[in-house]
Amino acid sequence: MQYAQSNAELFLSASDSTPMYQQIVDQITAKVRAGDWLPGQPLPSIRELAAASRVSVITVKRAYTELGQAGVIVTRHGMGSFVAESPELSIQLLQAEFRQHLDAMLGSARRLGLSAREIRQRVDERLAGPPSESTEDSTP
Amino acid sequence: MSTAFSLAGVTRRYENFALQNIDLSMPEGQVMGLVGVNGAGKTTLLRILSGLALADSGTVEVLGRAMPAEQVAVKQELGFATEDMRLFKTRTLRWHMDFVRAIYPDWDEAYAAHLLRRFNLRAEQKLAGFSHGQRVKALLLLNFARRPRLLLLDEPTTGLDPVARDEVLEALADVLRDEARSVVFSSHNTRDIEQMADTISFLHDGRLLASRDKEDFLDDWRRLVCQGAWTPEPADWPEVAAVRRNGSIVELKLRRFSEELLQRLRGQGLEIRSAEPMSLEEIFVTTVRAGGAA
Amino acid sequence: MNALRLNLPMIRLLVAKDWQLFQTQLAACVLGGIVALCLIGLATGWSFYLGSLLMIIVLVCAACFSISSSLLAERKEHTLAFVMSLPVTPLDYYLAKLAGNLITFLVPYLLLLGGTIAVILLTPLPDGLLPLSLVVFGHIVLAYALSLSVAMAVESEGWNVFAMIGSMLLVNPLIMAMGQLPVISENVKTDNIVFGPVLASVLIVQLLASIAIVVISGWMHCRKKSFY
Repeated sequence: MQYAQSNAELFLSASDSTPMYQQIVDQITAKVRAGDWLPGQPLPSIRELAAASRVSVITVKRAYTELGQAGVIVTRHGMGSFVAESPELSIQLLQAEFRQHLDAMLGSARRLGLSAREIRQRVDERLAGPPSESTEDSTP
Repeated sequence: MSTAFSLAGVTRRYENFALQNIDLSMPEGQVMGLVGVNGAGKTTLLRILSGLALADSGTVEVLGRAMPAEQVAVKQELGFATEDMRLFKTRTLRWHMDFVRAIYPDWDEAYAAHLLRRFNLRAEQKLAGFSHGQRVKALLLLNFARRPRLLLLDEPTTGLDPVARDEVLEALADVLRDEARSVVFSSHNTRDIEQMADTISFLHDGRLLASRDKEDFLDDWRRLVCQGAWTPEPADWPEVAAVRRNGSIVELKLRRFSEELLQRLRGQGLEIRSAEPMSLEEIFVTTVRAGGAA
Repeated sequence: MNALRLNLPMIRLLVAKDWQLFQTQLAACVLGGIVALCLIGLATGWSFYLGSLLMIIVLVCAACFSISSSLLAERKEHTLAFVMSLPVTPLDYYLAKLAGNLITFLVPYLLLLGGTIAVILLTPLPDGLLPLSLVVFGHIVLAYALSLSVAMAVESEGWNVFAMIGSMLLVNPLIMAMGQLPVISENVKTDNIVFGPVLASVLIVQLLASIAIVVISGWMHCRKKSFY
């Protein structure tokens, strides 16, 4: 019976505004992307991760479910969860990342009160040229 | 899957307070957090589960056995610690550890030694000399070291300094490893419940307002900051728990969030500036202020 | 109360705990009792009076210490919740308390009773003192049983102190009343040990009443609905 830290621990913060399960999803995704955890490698059991990271089992379950839906991990009934072996995994992760940023950008635009047309305008402007050229800056 | 405990129609009356008609149960291997103001009935509930108090009516079953009929067998596998529990002042912690060890065959001396170090307690010290925090930790140590199947903890981190609280949460997290072990704990530190609980049970005025999966429960609540002239009438909008207005800005606290609700609110002319999840503490205060409807 | 499955190992442990916690008071009582016996044995007027007064005080203390240190202290210092969280039923707890109390009281009591009988019979003191002394000792037991049952039933410290001291002080009028009986007044200064029917029935009533009080209060206690 070991009491030392197992390498199943994730670094979660209760004061972070991101929900706990999301932090788990993000950290595991980052680890997979970075190669900490290789394709086919077994994930820590839900309980082990929960105990080591000091969160409820249900939160880890939810995170694993979301990771499974995103294709980052694969859960085999009765055998546990493994990092997905899919060769398109990195592309899927990047797609998910893009979707996240897009949602965040749209949220930010909403808070600014931009209309859909204004949003598209801004996007086109950015695609057209580097950031130092802003429309407010009228020096030729 | 077996149940850790099951209460059906449990009622207990005191002179100024009554726990009414509680239907609550929990499967094994989970952590339940009890939330409620002082006097809501959390301690009474825990005392009924532990056999320290008898229900006036209803059935109580703990670890598959009827209480209080089989309380001896249940208490063999039960850990119980409350805020106002005291140990014997004139005796040392070591004496208590030996006393408990003589009673429970599952006592793990190695783990007890580990906890002594982690909790920074001196076994040879008399309990009279312990500070509040040390006393709480000593009581928890005596419970944790025998690895009971069900732990009932009343305010395990209340009144502890941040370091002690961290140590207790670590010991509590260790219980999670075993899928046959369960915990029920009440706490004013809603952050502890938010972090560690699988299920949140909300007690108010002796009644069980809600007992739900933590993630679902937290997902249901949102704090909206909107702009617009219209204010929802709580009677017509049961999903809205609280409304605050300052000029053109209105803050809504929603107890049943959904995209469809957002659309309806927008339909009334409100512009939704932000929708943020709420902490359990905010949800708790909002619910109590809203008159106890969760 | 149907379950007659008593948790004997636990009861033994709880009694041992109470015994351990009682040691210093026990020593003080026995010491005081020995001093009292010496004073009584001297058989002079003042030493007899002083000695018997001291003896009664020591017996009362033995009774009160055993009740207060285990029962009342446990309630006041909230250790009751800890004990009830152990694998015991309320009946186990009651029996352990009863056994612990009886042992911590009866040990000094019986020692002093034996010592008193020995001192009366073996010294120049008139043996006729024996029946009266036995009635006094019998009253102490009755007062003890009463105080014990009050302590089990009532949490208020005030009532407990009243019960203990009040019942013990009744020994004074008892001695005076007994002194009026011809069987006592005629024989107390002689070496005749005479009991007579009145005295015998007093002793029997004291014994039976003590037992009855303890049993009834125990039965009522176990039907209590919560512990704290």
